[in-house]
Amino acid sequence: MKLKLALAALLGLATFTATAGPIEDQIKFRQSAYSFIGWNAAKIKTQVVDKPDTFSKEEVIAAANAIAAAANSGLGALYGPGTDQGEGWRKTRLKPEFFEKQDEAKKVATDFNREANELAKVAETGDIAQIKVKFGKLNQSCKACHDSFRARDPR
Amino acid sequence: MTVKQIQIWDLPLRVFHWLLVFTVITAYITAEIGGEFTDWHGRIGALALGLLTFRIIWGFVGSTHARFTDFFPTPSRLAKYLKGGWQANGHNPLGALSVFALLGALATLIGTGLFANDDIAFQGPLYNLINKSSSDWMTGLHEIAFKVLLALIVLHLAAIAFYLAIKKINLVKPMVTGSKEAPKTAPIQTGGGGIFFFLITFAISVTIVWAVFSGVLVEYLEPAQSVPANISTSKW
Repeated sequence: MKLKLALAALLGLATFTATAGPIEDQIKFRQSAYSFIGWNAAKIKTQVVDKPDTFSKEEVIAAANAIAAAANSGLGALYGPGTDQGEGWRKTRLKPEFFEKQDEAKKVATDFNREANELAKVAETGDIAQIKVKFGKLNQSCKACHDSFRARDPR
Repeated sequence: MTVKQIQIWDLPLRVFHWLLVFTVITAYITAEIGGEFTDWHGRIGALALGLLTFRIIWGFVGSTHARFTDFFPTPSRLAKYLKGGWQANGHNPLGALSVFALLGALATLIGTGLFANDDIAFQGPLYNLINKSSSDWMTGLHEIAFKVLLALIVLHLAAIAFYLAIKKINLVKPMVTGSKEAPKTAPIQTGGGGIFFFLITFAISVTIVWAVFSGVLVEYLEPAQSVPANISTSKW
C-alpha cells in the first residue's frame, strides 16, 4: 500500500515535471495564438464568403490586422526543441517531423506570414472579391502546415 | 444463339452512378487543394448527399435491378453463386456485397462530412449540432471512410477489368446504355421505377439536401446555435 502510494506520488511528480515549465508555456501560447487567429478567420469567412450581406469593412480590416499581428509576432519562438511532446491547454499535435524538415517548416511558416500580411493589405480595399481570393490563399497556407506537421489526433 | 437487348439499369440509376463518379473525383480534388475550393468541397457534398438519398429510396421504388431486395446477398444466394449455380440478371451476390460496402462507406463519408471541420475556416452544415471534439472525431472518421471507399473503388475497378479481360464481359457498357444482351428466350424481368416514383424520390432527396444545407435543420433542432456568429459588432 505504502509502496503504491509512493509510486503514485512519484508518477504524479514525473508527469508534473514533464509538462510544467517553458515547454508547456510555448505550447499553451501557440495554441492560444491559433485559436485567436481562428476566431478572426471565422469572422472573415462569415462576412466575406458565407454571408456577404453582413460584410463590414471595418470588422474585416480589424480581423485581418489581428491575424497579421499574430502572424508577425514571432510565433517561431514557440516552436522550441521538445515542443512536439507535451500539454498546453491540451496535448500538442505538432509532429516531430517539424524539427526534422527545417526547410519545409520554415517555408510553411513564412508562407503563412506572407499571406496574412497580403490579406491585411487587401482588406483595406474593402473589395469582397479580392479579399475572398486572398483569404483562400491564407487558408491554403494553414492547410499546408496542417498537412505536413500536425497530427490528426493528440499523440 | 439469337440474342436480344434487355434492360438492366434504369436511366436514373445510371445518371446516379456517373454523377457519383463525378462527385467522388471532384470532392477529392477540392479537398486536396483547400483554400477557396474547400467551399466547393462542401457544395459537392450537398450533391453527394442528394445522390445517396436518391439511391437509398430508389433501392425500394426503382426498377427491378435497382431494388435492394433484388440483389440482397443472402447466405443462400451467396452459396449458390460460389458453387456456380447462380443465374439471374442484375448484381450477382458477390457484386451485391460490393455495392452495399460501397454505399456503406459512402454513407459514412457523407454523414461524417456533415459534422466535420477543417480547423481552418470550414465547417460541415450540421457542425453546430455537436461540440468541437465530436466534430474532430467525425473529421477523423471522414478521412478513414474515404480511404475505405478508395480501397473499395479499386476493388470495383479490378472486378470490371477482370470481367473484361478474362470473362470477356463488358460491364461498363450496360452502365452507359442501360441494357445488355441476353438469350432471346430470357424473360423480360424489369418493372417498377417510372417517372412518378422518380419525381417523388427526386423531390424527397432535394428536400433533405435543402433542409441540411440551408441551416433549416440546425435551426429546428438547436435554435440557439443557429444565430449567425461572427457578425455582431463590438465597439471594445
